[in-house]
Amino acid sequence: MGSEITNGEIVVSGLTKHYKQVKAVDGLSFTVKPGRVTGFLGPNGAGKTTTLRMLLNLVRPTAGTATIGGRRYADLADPMAGVGAVLEASSAHKGRTGRNHLRVICAAAGLPASRADEVLALVGLTPAANRKFKGYSLGMRQRLGIATAMIGDPQVLILDEPANGLDPEGIRWMRDFLQSLAAQGRTILVSSHLLSEMELLADDVVIIAAGKLVAQGSVGDIVGNMGDGGLVRVRTPKPDELIAALDSATVARQDDGALVVTGTTAAVVGEAALRAGVALHELVTERPDLERVFLELTAGKEAIR
Amino acid sequence: MKLIRSEFLKIRTTNVWWLFALGTVVLWGLSFLVNCVQAHYILHPEGVPDEQAATISAMGDPAALTAYMATSGQYFGLMFVLLLGILTVTNEFYHQTATTTFLATPHRTAVIVAKTAAAAIFGFLLWAVTTVLSVIGTVIFLNAENAEIALGDSSVIRSILLNLLAFALWGLIGVGFGVLIRSQIGATVTALILYLVGTLAVSIIVQLLSNWLDQDWIRELAWALPSNASGLLVSGVDLPDQPHYWVGGLVLLAWAAVTGVIGTLITRNRDIS
Ligand SMILES: Nc1ncnc2c1ncn2[C@@H]1O[C@H](COP(=O)(O)OP(=O)(O)OP(=O)(O)O)[C@@H](O)[C@H]1O
Ligand SMILES: [Mg+2]
Repeated sequence: MGSEITNGEIVVSGLTKHYKQVKAVDGLSFTVKPGRVTGFLGPNGAGKTTTLRMLLNLVRPTAGTATIGGRRYADLADPMAGVGAVLEASSAHKGRTGRNHLRVICAAAGLPASRADEVLALVGLTPAANRKFKGYSLGMRQRLGIATAMIGDPQVLILDEPANGLDPEGIRWMRDFLQSLAAQGRTILVSSHLLSEMELLADDVVIIAAGKLVAQGSVGDIVGNMGDGGLVRVRTPKPDELIAALDSATVARQDDGALVVTGTTAAVVGEAALRAGVALHELVTERPDLERVFLELTAGKEAIR
Repeated sequence: MKLIRSEFLKIRTTNVWWLFALGTVVLWGLSFLVNCVQAHYILHPEGVPDEQAATISAMGDPAALTAYMATSGQYFGLMFVLLLGILTVTNEFYHQTATTTFLATPHRTAVIVAKTAAAAIFGFLLWAVTTVLSVIGTVIFLNAENAEIALGDSSVIRSILLNLLAFALWGLIGVGFGVLIRSQIGATVTALILYLVGTLAVSIIVQLLSNWLDQDWIRELAWALPSNASGLLVSGVDLPDQPHYWVGGLVLLAWAAVTGVIGTLITRNRDIS
């Protein structure tokens, strides 16, 4: 199954979609690199779904272009092998079984029906394969969507809020799954509102609001640029001795007995503790999290227009 | 080809196909009974008013009668093919599978063509079932009536084959109709009303208009209706008050072409969201 896409870079350039009432997407440009998981973030109504649909030739842009591996989606000779996608408002026939749903797509993609069983196993849906779609739970539906996207073993994976409805184990599974795909050099673009999950999952983020780009970069850069320096949280049975050893830094005691040290790094704190001979029960660097950065960046932008 | 397989698999993997097949067979049974009664009177024309005598005797021609009987069930069979053609399109929006379909095949015209082909194949199967039943029934009935069976007559074979053309073309009309009215319920209800009531209504209106304006040609307009045209297409011989059978074929082709082309153009430009 040779995919024609070798470098699955996604390039969005000046992409615009005007509906009668609203500029859903407004001159949006960004790139998504292969080999990384990119989070696509924005408040409700920011234009994420519209952007992804334009990227996939489902919605006709008012202006601008979007390419995957240098080509428009419509120009891919074997789209299923190049790109897999799970979009919101996409579903299966209620009266069709999960397996038959996948077989229909296998047939359209020119793949053997056995591929349906393989992707069912991949997402853990084999036990429900012969049940009708109307009996699927929300999480099972999401898994079927992911199975659908994986049918052609695509080089590029595009997911619109795939974590919706997944249980904690499912979210964990998906995180590992997407990261392993990225590690194989594939391009992964995931939209989501679950910022804490995104922080764990994504390498890069693209943040949009009101149809326009707000920020793009690696999670570390975006969070680092916005944050006010390092924060280290430390827990020890001998707090007073540790405070003495850390004279140069500012230390605050928290109610639960932990110490919060600002303006330093975990390494400095650890070495100070070693010199002072105090045991450490916990030592973590706390970055300002993505959620705070996201809210700051998108503040003041009308979300729902 | 793989697209046609995919589209036909869609039809096969839900309940609709056998429900429609069942409906076709049941309604075929009813139509065949009605046709038997009619044929009986055509074979024994007593007390027929003079103005109809010519038509009745033309219909009593063995080839005409055999063709008439052997294409029984066409009216309702076509209705189910039409409905299935509609469903192949509206299902995609009703069940929100259009996204998946057009992701697998961004070339939308190809999808519409494949849907048309799949609906036509379904039409072929319904034609095959009703034709086998009709031929068997016709032989039994005409034997019982001691009437001549003209199954080998070229005009009868032509009628049966043209009936297949009608079944296939109605699949196409259904697909086009489904694209025009995307709502599942809207499209099916509209189509049913147009098919069952509209045909009758237009026939009556046309009849009234032609009487009122005293213009005979207006009556001919009724043949422009696809359901009337289908009946005309399979009427083995030319009856005195009818256009030639191939006019029906042209009318059907025109309908199929118009709905197909408009449907494809709309689908190509539509936002799927
Ligand atoms: N078919 C449509 N017709 C009219 N307006 C639309 C259409 N689709 C989307 N919009 C509008 O475009 C804007 C962007 O919608 P979009 O679905 O892309 O947002 P989103 O970022 O995916 O939001 P969410 O996080 O809630 O999923 C919204 O204001 C929405 O109302
Ligand atoms: Mg969305």
